[in-house]
Amino acid sequence: MGRFLYDLFYNSDLVLNGWSAAAHQSWAARGWPPVILDGLLQLAWAVAAAVFLALNALFIIWFERKVAARMQIRRGPNRVGPWGILQTLADTGKLLIKEDIIPDAADKAVFRAAPLLVLASTFMLFVVLPFGKGLVAADLNVGLVYFLAISGLSVIGILAGGWASNNKYSLMGGMRSAAQIVSYEVPAVLTVLSVALLAGSLRLGDIVRAQPSYGYILLQPVGFLLFLIASNAEINRGPFDLPEADSELVSGFLTEYSAMRFAIFFLAEYTNLFLAGAFASTLFLGGWRGPLLPPVVWFLLKSYFVVFLLIWIRWTFPRLRVDHLMELSWKVLLPLALANLLVTAVLVKVL
Amino acid sequence: MEAPATHGPFRSVLSGIASLGKGLWITFAYMFRPPITVQYPEQRVVLPLRFRGRLVMPIDPEKGTTRCTACMRCVKICPNHSIDIEKQTGPDGAPLPKPAKYLYNLGTCMFCNLCVEVCPFFALVMSDEHELATTDKGGLVIDLAAEKHRLSGKKATWWQRKFRGADPED
Amino acid sequence: MNVTFGDRDEMSPSVTGITPLPAAQSTSDEFLLNVGPQHPATHGVLRVVVTMDGEVVKDIVPHIGYVHRGLEKLFENRTYEQIIPFTDRTDYLSAIANNFAYVMGVERLLGLEVPKKVEYMRVLMAELNRIASHLLWLAAYGLDMGAFTPFLYAFRDREEIGAMIEEASGGRLTTNYFRVGGFVHELPKEFFPRLRKFIARFGKAVNELDTLLVENAIFVARTRGVGVIGRERAVSYGMTGPCLRASNAAFDVRRDMPYSIYPSLDFEIPVGRNGDTWDRSWVRIEEMRQSLAILRQAMDGFPEGDHRTRAPRNIEPPAGEVYSAVEGPRGEIGFYIVSDGTRKPYRVKMRKPSFSNFSALPEILRGNKIADLVAVMGSLDLVVPEIDR
Repeated sequence: MGRFLYDLFYNSDLVLNGWSAAAHQSWAARGWPPVILDGLLQLAWAVAAAVFLALNALFIIWFERKVAARMQIRRGPNRVGPWGILQTLADTGKLLIKEDIIPDAADKAVFRAAPLLVLASTFMLFVVLPFGKGLVAADLNVGLVYFLAISGLSVIGILAGGWASNNKYSLMGGMRSAAQIVSYEVPAVLTVLSVALLAGSLRLGDIVRAQPSYGYILLQPVGFLLFLIASNAEINRGPFDLPEADSELVSGFLTEYSAMRFAIFFLAEYTNLFLAGAFASTLFLGGWRGPLLPPVVWFLLKSYFVVFLLIWIRWTFPRLRVDHLMELSWKVLLPLALANLLVTAVLVKVL
Repeated sequence: MEAPATHGPFRSVLSGIASLGKGLWITFAYMFRPPITVQYPEQRVVLPLRFRGRLVMPIDPEKGTTRCTACMRCVKICPNHSIDIEKQTGPDGAPLPKPAKYLYNLGTCMFCNLCVEVCPFFALVMSDEHELATTDKGGLVIDLAAEKHRLSGKKATWWQRKFRGADPED
Repeated sequence: MNVTFGDRDEMSPSVTGITPLPAAQSTSDEFLLNVGPQHPATHGVLRVVVTMDGEVVKDIVPHIGYVHRGLEKLFENRTYEQIIPFTDRTDYLSAIANNFAYVMGVERLLGLEVPKKVEYMRVLMAELNRIASHLLWLAAYGLDMGAFTPFLYAFRDREEIGAMIEEASGGRLTTNYFRVGGFVHELPKEFFPRLRKFIARFGKAVNELDTLLVENAIFVARTRGVGVIGRERAVSYGMTGPCLRASNAAFDVRRDMPYSIYPSLDFEIPVGRNGDTWDRSWVRIEEMRQSLAILRQAMDGFPEGDHRTRAPRNIEPPAGEVYSAVEGPRGEIGFYIVSDGTRKPYRVKMRKPSFSNFSALPEILRGNKIADLVAVMGSLDLVVPEIDR
């Protein structure tokens, strides 16, 4: 039993492979087509990812509120549940019972679909995320490209939300948000490319294995910083949240959304926060690698560390104005990312 | 003194990045300091003696009644006309120096303390009551004479010292 | 969000004050944006109708009067003592400065001299009020800019000041502490130890707020060169206070129309260079530091004496008029009192700094982008009840 538990945590790739092989064997022995088994296994991964998404949302919202409060010399939620951990449940309950308002002149089908589009792109990113040794739904050999492509997919949902609200300024807010995400994709891609060069592969599992246990951060300090800033802008957070800010003139793309639809946008935003942290830790901090503790624990620790960095940045700095945002991406981050790529390429060739 | 001049381009980039780092350090350091939250309603802030809460006309413990003689000075001085007094009438119909009704409109009172200052008999005190929200607007007009409020604690001592001539805040 | 949008023809001229151009002249890109009476960034109930051409502001028409309470008319029916609590409420963030200006005016009408100790107490209270007001400005401005944390740091210090003033007067915001001839009560015993502790701690707190918000690179990028008003134009609008001093005009009522003990105190007047938004922010931070210096000096030189001088029970100044001005946190607060010899003034006219500062907004913003509206309005430090009275 102890041996099994040890294997489950520390050699999860062997355990999962063993289970998968055994399942395939018994399935083939009964003469059923293997494709259905593959489908069921992927469904199991999807369910696990959904469960993780929900639990993560509960935790990360509480975490942000507590950390933000401590930085602001106050306590944060501490009434609902011990240390306020059930506060997110209470807030979700409140959002669920609110009236669902759809503006009369809104494009109803698109209005309904927009939150789901954003959530879909977020959910799809769980496919390539290595939670531990072998704990990947599908370790695609182009995993990195998949990650970059899908993270840009949320633009569709945002534009749909802005358009469907039938509000001139929601549309403008949506377009600004889309422009922001697309602009910050470029330095992100170049930075991630440097990591791929160092690791020699696009498969995320290989990238993690190629890193020392503390990750590539010592080899790519500038890259880490650039990726952090770019991810921050892509998830519409922190100093880059002009499109959804409420004290600015132009209302964001999710103004007209209430109740559960707003909750889905909210959920997608916080899950994106986790994913930004997870991918940053996978690419730059060594993913699940680390001594002593089980790989899953290391992965979660590193991801939440990056999440803490993003929370810290958000609650310290004022907002960037829209033109500064664009300037930062194209005039500062892009040249730095290109330079980083150049230096990495030269060093990889030379050393 | 004049505002500092802007730096040259190179120096302003460096100082800009440094300012971001300094800001981050400040918020980080605050995470480890104790929060200043007062957990209301279990904990409350200690109110100073001179705090201006709701007006009350307390019973003088030595006399057994309020100290008001219905001289109307508070009525005249209230900037919002929040006070109305009806004098008591004696058996012969002449007014007595006692209030039959002392109607205080909590809704229009602005807690300015002028009535307390002008009263020559120290009949009025602004108490410590500040949690005054109510759902019934009619309950905002209070008859202070009928209320027979009794002060307690430090405020009571403070008030009583005033008319006994001692320094109230010793 | 309560922002209403309308095309040109939907808003009638009587509402906007703008006569629409004939169709041939108007460009199709121009439209009106109504920053409504309720808006998180206007710091009060203020309405601004902006004519925009794309992102650029062509014209601004401010609409005020939503908080008009008829105070100047009210004063004609109140005695001189009864007016004092109302002066608190004209601008609740600089209540003490308002009290100061009014009471000084009445004393001048009466020809009443107050003891030195009262002057020192008045300066102490006024400078504490200035610090508290600037702290709130910083907090709200940070919030408008998206920086949530300076709000709480500023309010921690404001809490301390409020507690000190509450111990002395009984009220934190609307203090009603000043009287003709002095003060209601003596300063409490705990006041000076508490003030000493505050002064020791506050220098560091100002530096922290400065580093966190005003020196922050993002804030600087957002405010430098934005919302510039030149020196002559600022003076012509009658701007006073930090908004004027940021435009390189060194006018401070404490220096140029001196009152109380300010001539004997040693402090500097911070003056900006360019008249942009950053300069206005910098001036206010420096003023907090200078107020700290004044507090130190006033505390060290605090004399013995009475907290109130003998003033007549019924204040009936002889017929005449007086204008008394004070440097409030927002600028020059003036009370022009006309007495007709009775217990109630004939006329009290209040000169409020936010009114003049706000009147310069169209000029400041014309030609700038709409995204700067929030930054500029925050930097002017408007308090709407003061504008409307």
